[in-house]
Amino acid sequence: MTRDGIHLTAALGAIAVVTAIYAGWLHVTNATTVAMTFLLVVLVAAATSRLFVAVAASLAAMLSLNFFFLPPVGTLSIADPENWAALVAFLAVSLVASNLSSVARARANEATARRDEVARLFDLSRDVLLMTESRDALPLLARFIARRFDLEFVAVCRRHGETWEIGEGGSVSIPLETSQLALALANAEQALEFDAGNRTYVGHRTMIVGEREVRIVPLRLGTKPIGVLAAAGRPVDPGSLDALGGVVAIAIERTQFLEERKAAELARQSEELKSALLASLGHDLRTPLTAIRVAASNLQASWLGDADRQEQSDIVLTEVERLTRLFEDILDMARIDAGAVSTEPHWVHPSQIVDVAREPLEHTLKGHHIDTVVRDDTLIRLDPRLTAAALAHLLENAARYSPEGSPITVTTHMADGELILAVRDRGPGIAPDDLPRLFERFYRGKQSRTVSGTGMGLSIARGLLAVERGRIWAENCRDGGAQFTIAVPVERREAASAGVPADAQPA
Amino acid sequence: MTSAARILLVDDEVPIQRAVAPLLRSRGYEVEVAGTGQDALKIVAAHPPDLIVLDLGLPDIEGTEVCRRVRESSSLPIIILSARGREADKVAALDLGADDYVTKPFGPEELLARIRVWLRRILSEARVESGRVAIADLIIDYDRRRVLRGSEEIRLTPKEFELLAFMARNPDRVMTHRAILKAVWGPNAVDQPEHLWVLVAQLRKKIEVDPAVPRYLISEPWVGYRLATEIPSGTE
Repeated sequence: MTRDGIHLTAALGAIAVVTAIYAGWLHVTNATTVAMTFLLVVLVAAATSRLFVAVAASLAAMLSLNFFFLPPVGTLSIADPENWAALVAFLAVSLVASNLSSVARARANEATARRDEVARLFDLSRDVLLMTESRDALPLLARFIARRFDLEFVAVCRRHGETWEIGEGGSVSIPLETSQLALALANAEQALEFDAGNRTYVGHRTMIVGEREVRIVPLRLGTKPIGVLAAAGRPVDPGSLDALGGVVAIAIERTQFLEERKAAELARQSEELKSALLASLGHDLRTPLTAIRVAASNLQASWLGDADRQEQSDIVLTEVERLTRLFEDILDMARIDAGAVSTEPHWVHPSQIVDVAREPLEHTLKGHHIDTVVRDDTLIRLDPRLTAAALAHLLENAARYSPEGSPITVTTHMADGELILAVRDRGPGIAPDDLPRLFERFYRGKQSRTVSGTGMGLSIARGLLAVERGRIWAENCRDGGAQFTIAVPVERREAASAGVPADAQPA
Repeated sequence: MTSAARILLVDDEVPIQRAVAPLLRSRGYEVEVAGTGQDALKIVAAHPPDLIVLDLGLPDIEGTEVCRRVRESSSLPIIILSARGREADKVAALDLGADDYVTKPFGPEELLARIRVWLRRILSEARVESGRVAIADLIIDYDRRRVLRGSEEIRLTPKEFELLAFMARNPDRVMTHRAILKAVWGPNAVDQPEHLWVLVAQLRKKIEVDPAVPRYLISEPWVGYRLATEIPSGTE
């Protein structure tokens, strides 16, 4: 049985019960008392149910009053004309009262519904403001709307030239005809009239797709339609739909704006990077080139003694090494930027990584004693090339920024499925101001102008490690010097029990 | 000068120090090395060298500033080591009193030639503002305001003569566009280099054997001009 049916039965039942009590049990004969009681029942019915229930109750009450209480009792005829007037008055009062009560109730319901829609819109705006990603903005918006407005289907549609970008949300998927969407958009573009009754602008349409009624609302930014919103499921007030369209339009515009700003920011950064690169390359190429040129011509000269000859050829070798690394750095940076670095995991022993990292730095590390402490004797699977390259940058840094002759300690151990490589120097440590920006590209420490360098090394190390899902961080040691640590997720197996797998040898 | 000339090499890059210092010593110069501007100024104050080779990119104070401070007390020759593309720094250093520059990466002979020129210059410093000056085969007669090649007079306009006389007063020295404009036209003309271009072209037509390949009035691109006292004889 429907709710209205129950209400109707209850109202008629109440009239019957009142009649039974007054006529059969209490033998009330005063028609006014009975009429007042009936009126009470009618008002209750009007306040809790719909108008027709109250009207039906009024009619039933009138008939009952006439039949059971107005003389001659037991008939529907009335002897006294005064009683006619009373009966008519009763009917009129109960009808007017039930109408008033019903109107008040409808108003209250409407207000509640509006408040509900406004709350939903508010929630939606909050969702929308939290959106920062412009990618997948349309489906995300559609999902937000479907969730906040309990709709079965929502589609946010934008036209890009001839094609439509449609983001869907909700529990069902309804295929939309783009020609219909285009028509709705064209319609919205032509006119802009406000319908005060519905609180909507023109351009709302209804489409029947299958058995569903899909409502189409233009998305307007100011007065300009930028797309359409399609919704199906729970009926939503057209005014709310219109407001919804506005919120969605602003959200789309906002994500676009964010995207553009990000692109502009990237362009600016890349410009800055370029000039920083040029400035640092200028210096870092010129110095080794000059030194090599002068030293090489010194080597040709006859005045050179054996010790001098040794020194001059040392200069050439060291500076060539420096140029080579600079070249590799630039190449690595370009590869990282292009996303062209891939991992090739092998089974290796951690000490191999340290050895490989030290190899190209022979001249740079000459002035330092390198202590290598390998705490875990396990085989691990990772990309040794990338890890060693990152470690090499840390070693080079340590050698550059710590006094000649001071030791550098490299420690490796395993923790939580990660290989931890720590490089510790006995230099002056890192200035607190520099710590947060240390891994930024081309960032040079404030105090480090005395040491040559491009500011690329640490950012490259971080870039290479990121490819392996590894991490890198720096800290100052309590008893002086800086420590840089690398953590790379690895697979491991005990070297002793597993034996050395075939591919564990360095390539 | 009886003892060997003392040269102060100021550069923070160890490889440059280690390559250039032995080169200079091999040519009989006494060399002192400073890695910072402060050290360089200390050495100049304590025991002035005969010549300074100065890198502009120093870690503590700018090379141009070192140049300025040395000039406050001394007129010893300063040769700048600079990077290409940093013309502004170069010009600033020259305007602050540096005498010459060599662009990195330079070859050893380039640097040695500049050093030779400047050491010879301080030996024959006693130069008179009046009388006659010989620049290669040109004779500039300040008193009569005439220029002779051999016995043949080259007729110059007053401005052309002023330009040549100014350059001849600073032989072999790079004079910045600004410095020349100020000396010949006055301080208001320093931002009008077109005057200079025109005048230099006119002067070259008169004094150069082949104005397209100038041998006296040499252009130093983006920086200024130099009046060469030695005419290169074919090879360097």
